[in-house]
Amino acid sequence: MGPKPRNTPSDEQERVPLFGTWPRIYAAVLVCALVVMILIALFSSWNY
Amino acid sequence: MSTLDWSVLAVYLVVIVAFGVWAGRGNKRIDDFFLAGRQMRWWAVGLSVMATQISAITFVGTTGQAYTDGMRFLVVYFGLPFAMVILCLTLVPFFYRARVFTAYEYLERRFDSRTRTLTSLLFLVSRGLSVGVTLYAPSLVLAVLLGWSEPATILLMGGSTIVYVIYGGNKSVIWTDVVQMAIIWFGIFLCFGVALAQLPEGIHFQDALALAKATGRLRIMDTSPSLTTPYTLWSGLIAGLFLMLSYFGCDQSQVQRYLSGSSLTQSRLSLLFNAFLKVPMQFLILLTGVLVFVFYHFHPPPLLWNRVEMARLERQAPPEELAQVKARFERAHAMRRIAAEHYADTRTEVDAQLYRQANTALDGARREATRMIEAIDHTAYNDTNYIFPSYIVSYLPRGLAGLVIAVIFAAAMSTLSGELNSLATASMVDFYKRFVRPAGGDAHELLVSRLLTAGWGGFACLIALQAGRLGSAIEVVNRFGSYFYGSILGVFGLAVLTPRASAIGAFWGLLVGMATVWAVATFTAVHFLWYNMVGALTVFAVGLVLSRAFPPAPATP
Repeated sequence: MGPKPRNTPSDEQERVPLFGTWPRIYAAVLVCALVVMILIALFSSWNY
Repeated sequence: MSTLDWSVLAVYLVVIVAFGVWAGRGNKRIDDFFLAGRQMRWWAVGLSVMATQISAITFVGTTGQAYTDGMRFLVVYFGLPFAMVILCLTLVPFFYRARVFTAYEYLERRFDSRTRTLTSLLFLVSRGLSVGVTLYAPSLVLAVLLGWSEPATILLMGGSTIVYVIYGGNKSVIWTDVVQMAIIWFGIFLCFGVALAQLPEGIHFQDALALAKATGRLRIMDTSPSLTTPYTLWSGLIAGLFLMLSYFGCDQSQVQRYLSGSSLTQSRLSLLFNAFLKVPMQFLILLTGVLVFVFYHFHPPPLLWNRVEMARLERQAPPEELAQVKARFERAHAMRRIAAEHYADTRTEVDAQLYRQANTALDGARREATRMIEAIDHTAYNDTNYIFPSYIVSYLPRGLAGLVIAVIFAAAMSTLSGELNSLATASMVDFYKRFVRPAGGDAHELLVSRLLTAGWGGFACLIALQAGRLGSAIEVVNRFGSYFYGSILGVFGLAVLTPRASAIGAFWGLLVGMATVWAVATFTAVHFLWYNMVGALTVFAVGLVLSRAFPPAPATP
């Protein structure tokens, strides 16, 4: 990795809403994106 | 449009300008003017990011594209959620903690001043010219639709936006974007609901989807590995990822939105908000276009969607030939309606085949009319952008048509306002404050920032007014833009991913990257979505090699 950005006290103190930590919220976004894509694939191939 | 529709549109314009001016009061320094004092909450910034991205032509163009071609364009956005997460992990913390005004300012701190100057200049040239297109494209459609002259539409749309951006800067941009995005969302749901409600008795939503699917309009996941086929799953996931990284990570019109967040957390959340909502929103817009396609099975569509061109065709085409084409078109439409009703009833493969044939026959009849207008105009004719607006004014109930036209205005103005504000920022911070007057004082800097906003606004209007004459030149400039956004992404990749990258590596890597994309675009048939990836990877690889040959100077103690 390149030069790391410094964490400032306010960054560390601010609460990450709903998911508590950044790794969890990133995982939630990615899982959500995959679920949406699977739903779109189903929608696209569904026998109406 | 009825008086009620005109009133709705007029109220929208007056209220949005007044609100923009009110929301933007209290600017004292350029921090306030360009970054809203770095005080904005994530949801406001997130909506502003979304509003800046969804232009009017995205709104009317993608619904039209869904009508003619189906929903496969949706894959372009598949890379977006992944791009948002990558940006939150990489560029956003660097930008935010460096307390920069522009993305390019960060490159001077990491590399050197010429890399900053070159990247900022590329942004100004590309975005400066494309802002004219942002204004011209919807004005062209709206002028035809509303029966106004093009200059009047351009000046109304451009002028009203310029007023509040000059006065309130980024605060006005973000708060008007919030309102405009709310109007856009409302408009999307409204159009979807009305298109659904206007399906004839006996044709349900499921039947509409079956008809759309039979003509291939629900085909989204094309798994072809071809690099030349547009909108495959892979181009959406991989090339789309690079496209979104370039746009959200290196384009000042987006970077400036999330730099206005009151903290790094707020900036990150604004991007993740987009990661959640963008694909579903685009899905709904495209599905509305598909419903309009089905709607016109049971209502007579016009022979040409552009009513000005239709009037020209009626004036200038040989009358007997035109009458024959019209008769053939009406017959084909009646046949398609019967075939569609049959297929909706039976769902058999035989009826599906008959329905597809009827649909092809209708397309054939329309193509004849297209050929006739092309013979008259001596230029290619494409009216995809007119399909959805034509539906709005012809079939939406009174008042709602005016509201949806206001949605198109909102989509155009939200993009334009963000672009004007970011152009003024890059001009002021990357050029004026460095080369003209580094320490002019708050009042002077605020005045120059407003003058620059006015200048860029005037330039946008000028380009839009001349766009008809500059047509091919604008296309060249837009194509030129796609050559370097990916390459700039490569420079940012070098800046944050490796400490070994040197200024020489970044600068010459950028030039080699742009040349490579130009060569790929000129000598191969690779689809343009891949250009950003080609540029970014080339710059990164060349930059690393050059940085090894010309390592960065050791830091002075």
